[in-house]
Amino acid sequence: MPKLRRLSNAAVKRHLLPYVLIAPAVAVLLALSIYPLIYSSTVSLQVNDAWSPGNFTRLLSDNFFLTAMAHTFVFAVAALTCEFLLGLGLALLLNSHIRGRGFFRATLLVPMMLPPVVAAIVWRLLLNPNFGAINGTLKQIGVNTESLTWTASPVLAMLSVIAVDVWQWTPFVFLVLLAGLQAIPQEPYEAALIDGSTRWQTFRHVTLPLLKPAILIVLLLRTMDLLRVFDQIFILTEGGPGFATETISLYIYRTAFRFFDFGYAAAMSFVLLALTNVISVVYIRLLRNESRA
Amino acid sequence: MRLTTLLTLIVLLLVITVSCSKDPQQAAHKELTLAAISGVEGDALKAAALDYERQTGVHIEITQFPYANLFEKELIDLNARTGAYDLIMMDDPWFPTFATKQFLTELTPLLQKRGQNGPDTDFVDTSIALCRHPYQTGSLYALPYVGNSQLFFYRKDLFEKHSLKPPTTWDDVLTAAKTIQEKETGSGMYGYVMRAAQGNAAVADFMPIFWAFGGEMFDASGKPTVNTPEGIAALEFMVQMGKYTPPGYASFNADEVGAHLLQGTAAMSINWPAWISKFEDPSKSKVIGKVEFTTLPSGRKPGQAEIGNWLIAIPRTARNTEAAMDFLVWATTAEQMKRSALGGNPPTRKSLFRDPELVAKFHAYPAQLRSLETSRPRPRTPQWNEIENAFGIFLSKANSGALSPAEAMNQANAEIEKIVQRGR
Repeated sequence: MPKLRRLSNAAVKRHLLPYVLIAPAVAVLLALSIYPLIYSSTVSLQVNDAWSPGNFTRLLSDNFFLTAMAHTFVFAVAALTCEFLLGLGLALLLNSHIRGRGFFRATLLVPMMLPPVVAAIVWRLLLNPNFGAINGTLKQIGVNTESLTWTASPVLAMLSVIAVDVWQWTPFVFLVLLAGLQAIPQEPYEAALIDGSTRWQTFRHVTLPLLKPAILIVLLLRTMDLLRVFDQIFILTEGGPGFATETISLYIYRTAFRFFDFGYAAAMSFVLLALTNVISVVYIRLLRNESRA
Repeated sequence: MRLTTLLTLIVLLLVITVSCSKDPQQAAHKELTLAAISGVEGDALKAAALDYERQTGVHIEITQFPYANLFEKELIDLNARTGAYDLIMMDDPWFPTFATKQFLTELTPLLQKRGQNGPDTDFVDTSIALCRHPYQTGSLYALPYVGNSQLFFYRKDLFEKHSLKPPTTWDDVLTAAKTIQEKETGSGMYGYVMRAAQGNAAVADFMPIFWAFGGEMFDASGKPTVNTPEGIAALEFMVQMGKYTPPGYASFNADEVGAHLLQGTAAMSINWPAWISKFEDPSKSKVIGKVEFTTLPSGRKPGQAEIGNWLIAIPRTARNTEAAMDFLVWATTAEQMKRSALGGNPPTRKSLFRDPELVAKFHAYPAQLRSLETSRPRPRTPQWNEIENAFGIFLSKANSGALSPAEAMNQANAEIEKIVQRGR
């Protein structure tokens, strides 16, 4: 009898222990993610405390929302393209045996170490049209800076916020791609060399395919980050001039915390979430096909 | 055995967490809590609270927040009825939101309990009007603490140098800006400086022009009317003044405008009294003794400044209304407010604007009182934040060259109309 009890005790322990161990994590998840998610979805479906799809239909006729969405995509596509090309170039360069490789690798990572808010404040000062260091330097070499109002003209402001993001996040792309490059074994290169392939052919048919998983992961992470960009733009331009750099996150923030319209803000957040999910699924599919092939 | 230990640990942790969170009822009668703005206005109230504690033994817990967070914090706490604050400090444009949602305690009954019929008549009329809901005529829900209103700043040395008379109309301003910028060419001097960043900044610097040109945001029935010929002419004038403003002003906020004035690179500006003392600070200012202050220029109509007072109110959820009222009345007495004024906050009492000691220290007081007494509030609507945001976007767009003034005003009117419709 005692033997049997000990056995069942052990069995119970074996079955229960994983649940007990995972319980705190589940509780935290429920409290901080699942509950708010359910709550915000109910809020998004209410207008003036009555059930209504009004918040979602309003999206279609809201010029500010549609423009902010367009800005978000322009910003994300432009920044992603620049960051990827620059990051890949740098990774290839610093993967080869050039002198001072360690030094360059370390200094390249500095922008990424700065908190985005700090980086944005520094850039805001640099880009100030009248007192900033950039226009100051340009003036000294004889450039007329009258029209170079970096954060105050609609087109330049968008270029400025893209440039700051590229400056800050290219190092991340570089870092992931460099790690990817270093994980590629030497043998395929040796085989390509023996087959007499050119450098471009080696890059196109050996490096790129083997680097694809790293590329997809870095693109996925950057895309999700870019679509919800907030801090740099909030500090650099606050969405201005006018509405020229307002992205969807800024507009959601304003709607929720300045206009106190949580329902509409939640509706916009769900649209953003859905879009981010669709894009992520595409990336993940590509990644999965890759690992199967 | 190990499982039981683990469970005990978890339970213990929970017990500790629960017992650590403070019981709000416990603190009920010993102290008051106050939400204030960080910076000079909130600091004055903090100093007053310390004095009050010394005199009465009532401890006042002051939590200070930066401008943007204060509004969020108060609205969320009042909406959730947490009763976290017995007193709240608020910028006057927020007042209609709080009052419409019935978040505030009516003060007249509390004053009557103290043997007063209503607020002291020494308060400036335009300031006390802000504390009533509806505006000017309704019940009293707050008392005014800091009496800001816009002033017109100009460089008196440059005006004398180029024999210009102090500006009293917007035409004078345009002529002066042109003259100064042409004659001072090469010295990096601009005739004017304004802020046209979207949102509050652009709207605050535009309203005095808009009103002087005869513009009105709403007609009697509450329909937006910003795109009338008067409104469009006012925006055209603002864009024209942009030619005499440092480049990039479409993204300027208060800091950039202040920097140009302090560095002596701009000759005129609409600004708030908080900057006045900075002009006399040798570590910051290159224009000591050179800046003069006057009321806002006129156009078709007499010049009117935008009023921007800090008010103090008692939330409906406050746990200790009478004690809160006692502090509120005490902090807004002439004696206490004078101490706040000496710290740099414009008062809301007429007697203090005429107080010899204060006038000797703050030369702009006569101009400030004239400006405050003739000032105008931003439209009193609970949707003001949203309307100001939309209006500011189009003002900024016109100033950055993205839209013509007429297009900007037409689109602004349509957006404001949508916001008003939603509120109905």
